[in-house]
Amino acid sequence: MSAMEHERTVDVECPTVWQKALMALKTWARVNSPWVIHFNSGSCNGCDIEILATLTPRYDLERIGVKLQGSPRHADILICTGPVTRQARERLLRTYAQMPEPKFVVAVGSCGLSGGVFHGSYNIVGGIDEVLPVDAYIPGCPPRPEAIIYGVATLLESLKNKQEKG
Amino acid sequence: MSLIHLLLFPGGLFLLLVGLLYQWLDRKLVARYQNRIGPRLFQPLADTVKLLAKEEIVPHGVHRGLFVILPVIGLASALTAALYVPMVGFAPAYSFNGDLIVTVYLLSVLTLALGLAGANTLDRFSLVGATRTLTQLFSYEAPFLLALLGPSLIVGTWQIGEINAYAAKNLWLIVTQPIGFVVALVGLMGKLELPPFDAPEAETEIVSGAMTEYSGRGYAIFRLGKDVELVIGLTLVAAFYLGGLSNPLEFILKTLAILLVMAGLQSLFARLRIDQTVGLWWRLGALLALIQLLIILVVKVAL
Repeated sequence: MSAMEHERTVDVECPTVWQKALMALKTWARVNSPWVIHFNSGSCNGCDIEILATLTPRYDLERIGVKLQGSPRHADILICTGPVTRQARERLLRTYAQMPEPKFVVAVGSCGLSGGVFHGSYNIVGGIDEVLPVDAYIPGCPPRPEAIIYGVATLLESLKNKQEKG
Repeated sequence: MSLIHLLLFPGGLFLLLVGLLYQWLDRKLVARYQNRIGPRLFQPLADTVKLLAKEEIVPHGVHRGLFVILPVIGLASALTAALYVPMVGFAPAYSFNGDLIVTVYLLSVLTLALGLAGANTLDRFSLVGATRTLTQLFSYEAPFLLALLGPSLIVGTWQIGEINAYAAKNLWLIVTQPIGFVVALVGLMGKLELPPFDAPEAETEIVSGAMTEYSGRGYAIFRLGKDVELVIGLTLVAAFYLGGLSNPLEFILKTLAILLVMAGLQSLFARLRIDQTVGLWWRLGALLALIQLLIILVVKVAL
């Protein structure tokens, strides 16, 4: 169950004005302060290099509040690259479990989406969504930094819209 | 009256907001030095609200009570320290002979709480971070205190308010005690674990040091504590060395000037190893501070 569904049920149970305002404040903070953690579950490093390029001063993601965190405990968004290998599956699940709610997963690159050229290999589980609930998919081999930024921005936009719909 | 002092001004709400503002200024200045645009004005507020709204995970093997209470103690002591400094150029809310020592101790409690919080968990990164935090505490604390001792020796009192008043009336102490100012400024950076003294939370080596296991509320409170400490540290150094703080305009200009220099130093230097930090402080920092004290004593006796 993703975090947003969980929150929506809370909202339905107690729809007072104060709680709605509090939820709006929380959503505002969440949308404006997405801290990311980066996990490579078997990628060829092409996507990882693009993610690192995204975080450089040239694109300056601190403008929209993105910060790269080292600890999963501090992160909101797990950016995954690569097909999930059988070796990395447990580590990926553990990293995800260590993140506090609400948390979101972004799959980056063709391999992350479906397994890519590695699909069907003996040591590959498949795409990220075979293991974790993925909230946003960013295709490309590798996707450009602009595409990664667009993907994360779309995820944040969808959070905002979900809140407005209630 | 004391409730207002504690909850609104200079402690409590006001200080938290100013702390967030100064965190933004610091990040923005570093971003500009690095040729970036930098975060938006409300960024620290959004970060804090988001962290407060997040789930708090208490990991296995920690003392639950300590895990929850340590960030609160750290923030509370940092907020209490604000009562004894001339915040925004107004006279300190409380004052007694010796409040300089009390303030320096209260500011150290946050670092101690951070070290204990790291040592409280079973996580290896937290333990290494805690060790480094406490090691750094022992290295910068003595030179920093010696550097603050210079102005207080000149004035002949341990009272921050009186030193502030003296500094406002006389020649800026940065002119007469340049070594002391440098040691105090760099000591403040060590206290706040800013680069190049960020070995205790070096994310490339030990994830984020003592705060690795903290999520949500605890992490938010530790961050707020750091911001409050930044404001109080800037106020102290500005009051002692930059000609005192007697009105809000002076406060803003002088603390901003120090922050500008500090942000420049942050973006200029790479991170020091922990042994280099300790070596720098004890071989150079303490020595310089002692020479400064010696000069002050000799001049005082000679005059």
